[in-house]
Amino acid sequence: RYMLGRGVKRKLSDYDESMAAGPPGPFDSSPALPYPQQRQLVLNMCLRKLQSCCLKVEPSLHRSVLLSNTLRQIQGEMLNEDCNTSPLAVQSDGNSYSVDTSPYIGGNPPATPAHIPDLPPLPLYSQAEEANLMTMPSDNGMSSTISSHVRVAGFLKDMSPLPAFPSWAENEELDFFSSSSSSSSEDEGNDHPAGSRSLDSLFGSFEIPNSTSYLTDLAFDDIFEDIDTSMYDSSDFTSVLSFTAPRSSVSPSEDSLKPFSTCSSFSSNGIQICVTDLNDLDHIMEILVES
Amino acid sequence: MAGGGGNDVQWCFSQVKGAIDDDVAEADIISTVEFNHSGELLATGDKGGRVVIFQQEPENKSQPQCRGEYNVYSTFQSHEPEFDYLKSLEIEEKINKIRWLPQKNAAQFLLSTNDKTIKLWKISERDKRPEGYNLKEEDGRYRDPTTVTTLRVPVFRPMDLMVEASPRRVFANAHTYHINSISVNSDYETYLSADDLRVNLWHLEITDRSFNIVDIKPANMEELTEVITAAEFHPNQCNTFVYSSSKGTIRLCDMRASALCDKHSKLFEEPEDPSNRSFFSEIISSISDVKFSHNGRYMMTRDYLSVKIWDLNMESRPVETYQVGEYLRSKLCSLYENDCIFDKFECCWNGNDSVVMTGSYNNFFRMFDRGQKKDVTLEASRESSKPRAVLKPRKVCGGGKRKKDEISVDSLDFNKKILHTAWHPQENIIAVATTNNLYIFQDKLN
Repeated sequence: RYMLGRGVKRKLSDYDESMAAGPPGPFDSSPALPYPQQRQLVLNMCLRKLQSCCLKVEPSLHRSVLLSNTLRQIQGEMLNEDCNTSPLAVQSDGNSYSVDTSPYIGGNPPATPAHIPDLPPLPLYSQAEEANLMTMPSDNGMSSTISSHVRVAGFLKDMSPLPAFPSWAENEELDFFSSSSSSSSEDEGNDHPAGSRSLDSLFGSFEIPNSTSYLTDLAFDDIFEDIDTSMYDSSDFTSVLSFTAPRSSVSPSEDSLKPFSTCSSFSSNGIQICVTDLNDLDHIMEILVES
Repeated sequence: MAGGGGNDVQWCFSQVKGAIDDDVAEADIISTVEFNHSGELLATGDKGGRVVIFQQEPENKSQPQCRGEYNVYSTFQSHEPEFDYLKSLEIEEKINKIRWLPQKNAAQFLLSTNDKTIKLWKISERDKRPEGYNLKEEDGRYRDPTTVTTLRVPVFRPMDLMVEASPRRVFANAHTYHINSISVNSDYETYLSADDLRVNLWHLEITDRSFNIVDIKPANMEELTEVITAAEFHPNQCNTFVYSSSKGTIRLCDMRASALCDKHSKLFEEPEDPSNRSFFSEIISSISDVKFSHNGRYMMTRDYLSVKIWDLNMESRPVETYQVGEYLRSKLCSLYENDCIFDKFECCWNGNDSVVMTGSYNNFFRMFDRGQKKDVTLEASRESSKPRAVLKPRKVCGGGKRKKDEISVDSLDFNKKILHTAWHPQENIIAVATTNNLYIFQDKLN
């Protein structure tokens, strides 16, 4: 399953053993791997790690913060480069991170390159640029980077791209799709750049303390903001309910819910829990309303 | 490695505790190790929420070469797994830290904590029991009142030693995030507990409230880029404490300055070496442990690749830096992939602050003699576990030619990690925890 991982390991150890004792480059053990590809590698690992932390136990905030910082750093670099060259489309179809399952061999780049996660606010990431970023690329100058994106994205697709998320990551994903599958106009209407809410939800679950100060910490409305009752109507509701819903309002569209249905096959306690927890949630709602 | 004198110390195997087989039960994974203030007691906590306390036997007069062995003194279940119903997540019972209180009377007290709750345990001995009740039989049944014709006062008679552990205080519901540190203040009345974003101050007698003294939670959680990784009180200044962060900084705070110590009094940070910059620079700069020296003049921090000693009077850079495993730098991507890069290694001082110790991979641990500028790598393994066997120094070669007896960095077992070590407060006795075994080594006495 983790084909990318295995491939990387073999490559790295090969380079390790043949490596002379020179000073390590910015990417430690594979000086032969070009920097953009090294970076893409790290980016994908980062994404995978952030996605895959679906556990019965609360994920480590320390780890999440370090991962997201790394992700931000890489994204910042990439955006810097892209802005210096040509606008890179940040778009994926509504269903997965990959755009093309077939490995990209050569020739012209496909129309839609791999998805770069929308993470919050970078100085460059203004709304105007966002509109540009939503457009399709046609620049062959980006082909090498894009090709590596796609190749890697192909691997990512292998991994059942949407495992059940822990609370802090799942809404990030919702944002990806709601922002990218719907038109950019929706995002321009937002106060923040698209996906800026995603990190909020990344750490948003940590907001709910299990202390008695829970009710005083949150405004009355916030309590209910967390519990999106529109989910009750949808038979597609998934791991969103098994974890605390994020603070930012979840407005699931058909498009955004679609990807979740594909992950129901991805075995995860979270999904099993959420189905049976519907009644518990009912119960909790009752208690909160009465108090 | 001098423990105080000028001679090289040779470390010998003394004991190993725990199961021998390689099949490690998850609950048996040791998660914390701590000597008490006299060194007579050694406590370990594990992933299953249990605390095991070992007691050192009194020295055998006929064998002055041997220091007393550590044998099990008490075992108790400190924390149980819990379930957070609001988040539908389990709360692990794993003991994150144990800290002993100084002994004030016959009983011993320690604080143990999991991710959310701190408990104060009293460990007391019972070696006498009352016998000869007037109204009760020896087995506890009440005597027929008509048969009671004389007055009999019970007397205490010796019994087999029984060690009892009882929870005296439970400090709960004060942490939203995972508790990573607890530290008893030198006033012996208060202690601090730190989670990812906050530090709270408690009074040992009061469980229903605590003061929040540090809060780094941003108003907007999406701006969160830094978390608290460790915190400790100064050993003799009861108003001073430090906390370290995931960005490699240490902040020293003075509680006299204000109630909320968000503004640090001192900020310790070493500028990054640009030639070492990589994707993982920030991750490996995250500080996993901070410990004051016993004399309170220095503090030591552990990040992924090094141990640094800071003079509390100099914030700009550490006064000493020791490389724990520079050979790991070429492996950072693999270590990132298998998550080892997030391992949190602890560090400790010896009794007179002349030597520091920390663990590494492959069940290696390292000691750095500050005075003699010497370091040594030793291994905790079953192979070198013969009584009083002297440990042989190990060496890892990063790349290139491997000399005899050296281990190549590619052969290191990254699943065998020593995260927790402790040094006896006075003697050269160390406790080193591998995944599920506790090794006790002592220096060779001649």
